[in-house]
Amino acid sequence: MNRRWASLLAYLVAIPVAIAFVFPYAWMFSGAFRRTRDVLSDPLRLWPEQFDLSFLADIGRIGGVPLASYFLNSILFTLGATVVGTVAAALGAYALVRRPDLPGFRLIRSGFMLTVMYPYMLLVIPVYIVMHTLGLLGSALGIVLFLSLGPLQFFLFEQFFRAIPKEVIEAATIDGASEFQVLFRIVLPMAMPVTATVSLIAFLLNWAQWFPVLVISRGPETYTLPVALLSLNTELGASFQGIMALAVITTLPPAIVFLIAQKRVMQGMAQGAVKG
Amino acid sequence: MTLARVRAEGVFYLLVLPFAALTILFGLWPIILSVQVSFTASATALSPNPTWVGFANYATILSDELFLASLWRTLAYTVMAVTLNLAFALGAAMLLDGTLLKRGNMVFRLVLFLPVVTPDVAGYVVWRWLFDHSFGAVNAALDLLGLPAFGGLTTVQTATFAILIAELWHHAGFYMIIFLANLAIRDPALEEAAKMDGAGAWACFRHVILPQLRPAIVINLVYATIQFLKTFTVVVVMTKGGPAESTTFVSYLAYQYFDQARYGEATAMASVLFAIVIALSLLAYRLGERGRT
Repeated sequence: MNRRWASLLAYLVAIPVAIAFVFPYAWMFSGAFRRTRDVLSDPLRLWPEQFDLSFLADIGRIGGVPLASYFLNSILFTLGATVVGTVAAALGAYALVRRPDLPGFRLIRSGFMLTVMYPYMLLVIPVYIVMHTLGLLGSALGIVLFLSLGPLQFFLFEQFFRAIPKEVIEAATIDGASEFQVLFRIVLPMAMPVTATVSLIAFLLNWAQWFPVLVISRGPETYTLPVALLSLNTELGASFQGIMALAVITTLPPAIVFLIAQKRVMQGMAQGAVKG
Repeated sequence: MTLARVRAEGVFYLLVLPFAALTILFGLWPIILSVQVSFTASATALSPNPTWVGFANYATILSDELFLASLWRTLAYTVMAVTLNLAFALGAAMLLDGTLLKRGNMVFRLVLFLPVVTPDVAGYVVWRWLFDHSFGAVNAALDLLGLPAFGGLTTVQTATFAILIAELWHHAGFYMIIFLANLAIRDPALEEAAKMDGAGAWACFRHVILPQLRPAIVINLVYATIQFLKTFTVVVVMTKGGPAESTTFVSYLAYQYFDQARYGEATAMASVLFAIVIALSLLAYRLGERGRT
């Protein structure tokens, strides 16, 4: 009896909260298909009066660049940074965990911790100078390399490698395996699940990045979807319908990836954070 | 023997190289440059031979009303946002931890976490329009419920509250799963013992569950404090620091100064914020460590 009331009460709290959290998505979707004047006359309605596709014309080109270019940039930069970042974090974390005693290794880790603590947004001025000095300003390579570095990726690998029993590796070394053989035949095959988790999370985090992309870019040619959305949103006279449609396009790929791999993503994020 | 050792150690240097290079090039170097620029005159900051001015930029910003106001605003906002987010996340985690929601559990969990992996720009753009007076659903809903209209992003009194809501929506799910991970590893025997002794639900939560959540509370406190001290994207997308500077936090002010080519002052602000972030994180860790022993 008591339990059923408690359950009912729990639902009475959970359902309104869930509706408040989902509503922005539903409203964004419907806003993409509803004509602006319909939204103005009935802002709460979620099912479109008619499926109006004029957003296709509204966002076909943004800032003189076709929508497909932003989409392609998002995919390429995100995947590129995910691959570079996952490989660098995996190898780096492995080396730092196996031989923390080597000269300079503690310094590398402390240096990394310091960059993690630095207010990310305030790296803007110096990153601009660094990219300029390296000749990477406005280049895809500069964006990919800058995005690739991430704390969660490193912490997840570090935590995983620390948990591998020393005996496993020592046994292989005694059998005469070289360090490379130990890494490629024993450690990396064991690390496949954590590599999958890290890649997924890196993809989701990189996709959302906008500020570094904006700073390193010289023009809209290297903008990604979030940057295009931001500039469309600040554009005077941009159509509401177009803005909502672009928000949908920006949101959908990570949302789909998350819903497919939700358990892995949520567990990985919790684990990576606990370490940091 | 020594050759073999050199070769074995060389392997590790080779492995760490990409990670170290990325850390140095795109982490440490920019930070050092930032500190360096903060000691130079803005007009010459980006030239090869900058004029060194010592702590002049720091003195300037510490007597700059705009900066001091934004600093207090940032600290106040951080306290509010951290409290609100952690309280909400803890409540949601407690609700999800039990079996009260049965089948609804997974759905509720997904719904609260989805905003975390939604690009923040997209989420905040939608919230900006939700709060809009003519387009917005927020006021339409309040009207439907017979409640007074919400000023949203246009009045000084409500703008901070509006971005608090949008940030809660984006961040709370993350803190929630940290609490959930901690709740999953607690000792159920303690609660049974407490119930046996006749402890009520609240006493059980307060004296049995909450002390066991200390690790998650510390982690969330550190993460949330760093997160909200740096508040930036939500301001860029939703308010541009307004109305009447009511949402101009330090990051955004530094960005504005940078935009006006006041590089020295902007980087000095960055250093001050960095110092605060480090001090508060260390303090939180200390508190966490002390509780463990």
